[in-house]
Amino acid sequence: MSSRSVIAAKNLTKIYGKKSSAVKALNGIDLEIQRGETVAIIGKSGSGKSTLMHILALLDSQTAGRVEIGGQSTTRLKMRQINRLRNRRFGFVFQQFFMNARDTVLNNVMLPLKIAGVRKSERKRRAMEALEIVELTAKAKMRANDLSGGEKQRVCIARALINNPAIIFADEPTGNLDSATSQAVEDLLFDLNKKKDITLIIVTHDADLAARCDRQLYIKDGKIISNVADDNKGKRAARDENHTFRPGAMRKTVGLSHKRSAGQGGRIL
Amino acid sequence: MKLIDIIKSANSNLLRNKGRTFLTILAIFIGSFTIIATSAIRTGVNGYIDKQMDSAGGEGYIEIMPQAFQEIMQSVMSFGSNGPTEYDPDKNSTEMTIISADDMKKIAEIDGVESVKGARMVEAEYVTSDKTDKKYLISPHALPSTRINIDIAEGRLININSHTPEINLQPGYATVLGYASDADIIGQTIQLAIVEQATMKIQLVEAKVVGVLNKSIINMGRSWINESLQDDILDVLYAGMPSSYRDMTMLATAEWDTSLGDDGLDRIKDDLEELGFVGTTINDQVGMIKTFFDAIILVFTIFGGIALLAASIGIINTLFMAVQERTREIGLMKAMGLGKGKIFMMFSIEAISLGFWGSALGVGVAYLAKAIINPLAANTFLKDLPGFNLMEFDILLLVYLVALVMLIAFLAGTLPARRAARKDPIEALRYE
Ligand SMILES: Nc1ncnc2c1ncn2[C@@H]1O[C@H](COP(=O)(O)OP(=O)(O)OP(=O)(O)O)[C@@H](O)[C@H]1O
Ligand SMILES: [Mg+2]
Repeated sequence: MSSRSVIAAKNLTKIYGKKSSAVKALNGIDLEIQRGETVAIIGKSGSGKSTLMHILALLDSQTAGRVEIGGQSTTRLKMRQINRLRNRRFGFVFQQFFMNARDTVLNNVMLPLKIAGVRKSERKRRAMEALEIVELTAKAKMRANDLSGGEKQRVCIARALINNPAIIFADEPTGNLDSATSQAVEDLLFDLNKKKDITLIIVTHDADLAARCDRQLYIKDGKIISNVADDNKGKRAARDENHTFRPGAMRKTVGLSHKRSAGQGGRIL
Repeated sequence: MKLIDIIKSANSNLLRNKGRTFLTILAIFIGSFTIIATSAIRTGVNGYIDKQMDSAGGEGYIEIMPQAFQEIMQSVMSFGSNGPTEYDPDKNSTEMTIISADDMKKIAEIDGVESVKGARMVEAEYVTSDKTDKKYLISPHALPSTRINIDIAEGRLININSHTPEINLQPGYATVLGYASDADIIGQTIQLAIVEQATMKIQLVEAKVVGVLNKSIINMGRSWINESLQDDILDVLYAGMPSSYRDMTMLATAEWDTSLGDDGLDRIKDDLEELGFVGTTINDQVGMIKTFFDAIILVFTIFGGIALLAASIGIINTLFMAVQERTREIGLMKAMGLGKGKIFMMFSIEAISLGFWGSALGVGVAYLAKAIINPLAANTFLKDLPGFNLMEFDILLLVYLVALVMLIAFLAGTLPARRAARKDPIEALRYE
């Protein structure tokens, strides 16, 4: 195993329900993700993408196999250690945002730090930093509910990155957004990956988004049927250089990566 | 998550649905207020009685009654619900209901009894004076013992052994009897109208007013007279009747050696019982009043308790709704690493806060009620009992009650809090 491995799965199996009505959502998944990698999990609806992501993120427990984080098996970890791990090392972005709609943007962003027990002035400072990254400092005092969909997802990204995570798990982060807004959100995520070396694990139906990742895991019936790694580092570096976050002005970069993986993108959908 | 943040979150969550929170608090308030108000009245009444008892002294003498007489009283009090009792000549004969001269001697011989005096049935038709034609009801009683601290407003206490017929009047008589003030009636002679039992003729008996009493529950509206006046009244009352009538005693009063303490008192009571008598001190009598009063208070406290029980069901309901509404939020926080214990704590604190605010509101409104009711009562039905505060708070009791309501709220909250803590983050995030 590589020393740069942040997360790995060994023969991961998940069975829902009892014997007669059992559903095998995951069927012997093996994978290893390197630090700083961007990985897209793709596949048809019901193929087990979300299930895999949840188990990797230690939100759910597997029926068999194991998850390793930084080369350490998580099987024996206590609930407290798992909670701590999720709180300190992981960030989450969901399709449906999941914000406290009536609370302010700032309070929503601060939530992980509040859970971590960080003191108030500190968490405010860091939340404002995070909001600066997603360019929403002006809206910090607004109610989360009053934001547009794209803004909401940017707030969620700010929330996901506030604890300086090693990995951000995103389950269809652009699923509820139009294509232009999606671009902005994607750009943000990849920018974080580049600048902060945050590993991205993204479940998506979006071919463009999948294509921008270093690797595409294609899942069918709970099995990885294609694990396409883009090891052309030069290309990746070039792409990264072109890429800076300018909301709504990213067509060029996207066009490039889209072309590069057009074939796969066609297969995904 | 820090405790202070958990408490803040819990309280801001309560404010999210203000209407529902308010109604739940209102329910807790009703129960708490009922209990606080009744216990305040209990404290007020008992405090006043105790104060009066302290000033009355009153442990130095025992009232003695034949057991048979007490049994008759009890059967009257129970409205005959015990059914007919079979006649027993040893227990139920008429002579068992009076205290004979022989009995008096035996009582006097009891170890620790210093003196014993028989109380006669004294009755006056009315009281009047030379200064008025008006007649007023009066309740004269021979002072059973000088060991009672009688609260005198004006003049002095009657002299029991004086040969002059003396009386201590209840407050208010001076003016109605035609005198300018209590001070003016001191040393004056008034007339008590006594009915001859044999002929029903009214005769006036003279009495010298030597003092005016303060209002007090210990006096129970009685005007105290000395033996000389009692003799004069009895002479009229039983005129033309055998002297055995005149000497008939149903109640005796014994003074005892208080240095013997409670054990000595108990022994004297036991000895009296062997002779067929029941001895009660003023403390026993007030104790009975207190017991009766406490029973009423208990009923109200039970009402309050039932209201609190209903309120705690309200807490359970409110929190179950809150858990349901916040399913996603709970899932999200769990996904972000908030532990079960903290989530349980958050909802428990919500429940405890409901309990706190409900009972604190109860305390607040009870203080308000006290500020309104006490002067109101003092000016109306407690007008004649100065120093009687109807409601009185026992701070420690209030603290206990608030703590108890918070505990009840916590217990009620454990059910929904457990449900919240057990929510699976995945399920919660999937929840539509
Ligand atoms: N709690 C559950 N109980 C029973 N079956 C479940 C449960 N959760 C998921 N499944 C099943 O497991 C399979 C994989 O579900 P999963 O949510 O991982 O699919 P997905 O690939 O994320 O689909 P989508 O693209 O629609 O989100 C599905 O057949 C689903 O019905
Ligand atoms: Mg899914």
